[in-house]
Amino acid sequence: MPQGATEKPGTSKDVPVRMEGISKRFPGVVANDRVDLEVRAGEIHGLVGENGAGKSTLMRTLYGLYPPDEGRIVVRGREVRMSSPRQAIALGIGMVHQHFVLVDRFTAAENVVLGSEGGAIVDLDDAEERIAELGRSFGFSVDPRARVEDLSIGAQQRVEILKALYRGVSVLILDEPTAVLTPPETKELFADLRRLREAGNAVVFISHKLDEVLSLCDRITVLRRGRVVGETTPEETSKAELAEMMVGRPVLFRLDKPKVEAGSTVLRVESLRLGTQLKDVDLEVRSGEILGVAGVEGNGQRELAEALLGLRPPDGGRMLLEGDDLAGRSVEQIRGAGVAYIPEDRHGRGLVLEMTLWENVALGRQARPEFSSRLGTLLIRRIKELATRLIRAFDVRARSVGVEAATLSGGNQQKLLLARELDGEPRLLVAAQPTRGLDVGAIEFVWRRILEQKARGCAVLLISAELEEIYELSDRIVTMYEGRITGEYPPTAPPEELGIGMTGGRAAPGAA
Amino acid sequence: MAERARRPWVDALTGQVLGLVAAFLFAGVVGGAIIAAYGESPLRVYGVIIDFSTARFQDVARVLENATPLIFSGLAVAVAFRAGMFNIGVEGQYYVGMITATIAAVFFDLPGVLHLIVVILFAALGGMAWAAIPAILKVKTGAHEVVTTIMMNGIAISLVGWALNNLLRTTDVGLVDLRSDRFPESAVMPHIGDSLGLSKETIPNSVNLTWLFPLALVACVAVWFLLSRTRLGYEARATGLSPGSAEAGGVSIGGVQLKAFLISGALAGFVGLNHLIGDVGFLGINYETTLGFTGIGVAFLGRNHPIGIVLAAILLGMIARGQDGVAIITDLPREILIILEGLLIMSVVVAYEVVRRVLLRRRQRVVRAEEEMPGEAASAPA
Repeated sequence: MPQGATEKPGTSKDVPVRMEGISKRFPGVVANDRVDLEVRAGEIHGLVGENGAGKSTLMRTLYGLYPPDEGRIVVRGREVRMSSPRQAIALGIGMVHQHFVLVDRFTAAENVVLGSEGGAIVDLDDAEERIAELGRSFGFSVDPRARVEDLSIGAQQRVEILKALYRGVSVLILDEPTAVLTPPETKELFADLRRLREAGNAVVFISHKLDEVLSLCDRITVLRRGRVVGETTPEETSKAELAEMMVGRPVLFRLDKPKVEAGSTVLRVESLRLGTQLKDVDLEVRSGEILGVAGVEGNGQRELAEALLGLRPPDGGRMLLEGDDLAGRSVEQIRGAGVAYIPEDRHGRGLVLEMTLWENVALGRQARPEFSSRLGTLLIRRIKELATRLIRAFDVRARSVGVEAATLSGGNQQKLLLARELDGEPRLLVAAQPTRGLDVGAIEFVWRRILEQKARGCAVLLISAELEEIYELSDRIVTMYEGRITGEYPPTAPPEELGIGMTGGRAAPGAA
Repeated sequence: MAERARRPWVDALTGQVLGLVAAFLFAGVVGGAIIAAYGESPLRVYGVIIDFSTARFQDVARVLENATPLIFSGLAVAVAFRAGMFNIGVEGQYYVGMITATIAAVFFDLPGVLHLIVVILFAALGGMAWAAIPAILKVKTGAHEVVTTIMMNGIAISLVGWALNNLLRTTDVGLVDLRSDRFPESAVMPHIGDSLGLSKETIPNSVNLTWLFPLALVACVAVWFLLSRTRLGYEARATGLSPGSAEAGGVSIGGVQLKAFLISGALAGFVGLNHLIGDVGFLGINYETTLGFTGIGVAFLGRNHPIGIVLAAILLGMIARGQDGVAIITDLPREILIILEGLLIMSVVVAYEVVRRVLLRRRQRVVRAEEEMPGEAASAPA
């Protein structure tokens, strides 16, 4: 090694990565503002902050994806300039993205080797042996010969981590790794990460789930609006304090659930079938009740919601809204019957981003006599009045109802959607992943509004992959797996029990 | 803050103007290089285009004559496009419109203006009927309208040939051309110049600026009203921008697209009228072609907006008129201006897209800055 080590030798050994005064600006936005971050060997470092706080930008800078405008990155005592992830990996820094970058039809070993074959001829047997060895040394159980498409999400994630380890990475960045995992998979991941730590590696764990950060991490750095607002340890802090640091104001985690006696049955779903996605689904939601549907995404939840709204005609079964079968009705008729919908895909199934706020408010009620004349013209003045009122009531921050929805932030777009859907006192609310991608403040807002509907006597079907959300809001919980309802639980059931249902095991009879 | 509050549309307007200027400069420079490669002065050629389009009253009238069918075809493309469909079949739809209009003109015996109105209605119905086939195929079977309309264009060409050989073939044995009978006076669109009693020096007979031009402007207003004031137009735009959200909002996608495509076809039916009843007065085998395809360019240039379409049609009308000048005054091939037209459409489309993205990003920044830090908004870097 040539000279040029600018740090004291003692510290540089324990500090594989030090970021000093990192600033990164995008046109008009300061994503990172003089951020200092130190990642030590043998620690799991939590990086928390709301959406847009600059966590990802900071880590992309460290991973060589963005050159910083100011500041320096010191890796093991030497200042480095990186212009690509390849260089970052060569320096021992690896990153696992939230969305995996794996070739489904390749085996685990082929995926791990891909990109670092090192020559024209790939010795797969040798690679498989090395990968198995690597897995053994960290206690990872992955079959190198298994095809990625046959692996569970948790196993796919391990392949991603192995990919980094195979390349000799000792600083591993994980971007929201638990977002896609079931509770048992999360537990396994945490065990894996702890073993990596014991072996002297450093892990940077990006998350907005504070409970996870507090239970897993050794040190925690909090970002807000591009700046470091605090560095702490789980011993020194609490969930409430972390949340306040993130948001800049106190956040209530325990919302007061309104005490509502569940009334008569509003929705009864009987052996609903739809292709291979829904297999004899039975459900019942009563007025003033929130039924949480827990499950890993892609197990039929989307189809269930879309069938209820009339967006996908079911192949069989009944969907009774206060005794009326909704099967075979149009979306317009079903909405007219008092069903509101918060879609998981805000942009693809909810808003029209290039349209104005008032035009978005009109969507779903454009055919009502209050808003369109018999001659077929829109009563624009009335729609604008409604939009103005709703935007005020739901605190959508916008200059006027005439701006395009695309100009709003994610949280405000969701508020706009809620405003549109919840006005008019629906009898049934189908809420699918209603807080996806929102920051803490907005999540709280959405939860309150859903609880308001319950208090009003609305029946709520809450579909969510976030267990925290399910627990926070639900009066009863069912789990869904591969198109089936696999169990029913009270909101007091421990997550492990739900985990069984979410991975296919039927709950023991009488669990509810 | 007052200054900030004005910014979105000031931004939009300056953005549009700057984008257009940049696009024209780019097309002008690249086109100029090609012209220069032919050993001709680009500035002289551009001068000829402007001179031939604007020097005399009759030149302006010729430009508007050229623009008339292009406004209709641009509108036809735009209405379908705003509803999320690409009507490549305007070409075939106006051919069929010419056949049905000729039927009404030749076989019906109606008094004065009534005959004219029926001829125009038949043109619209013909275009609509031809558009109905791909529209129904799309809604019922999912067959993509681009593919089906291209096929329908081919069929329409043959249909005109068949009609001229059989149904519409003139009974006048003295005529050897393959053509229909000459239309009666009651089925011919009067020229604006004649109606206003202008002299033949001001506007010679060869200029076919008819009342179809003001009708095209009326169609623009109607399309604007349809898109921005009616429920159908609203649902069509929502469908075009985000079909999934529209569907979840209770819009019947198939129904809306069917209606929009039929309206598009009806507008396409008008495209051939100025040639048919404003110019030659019969349907012959040498009928005017490619107006429908040019309409795609007009719609793109005009951003699928009625006002933009009028301006784009006039611009292309000028370039077409400029071709006459270039042919007379220079040694350049006429095609040089077609190349220029293509360059212009391409660079304007690209420029609009760039401007749109820049504006959106800027608006997002302003809105988010205000929403997140009301006190600090002013300190955001410009």
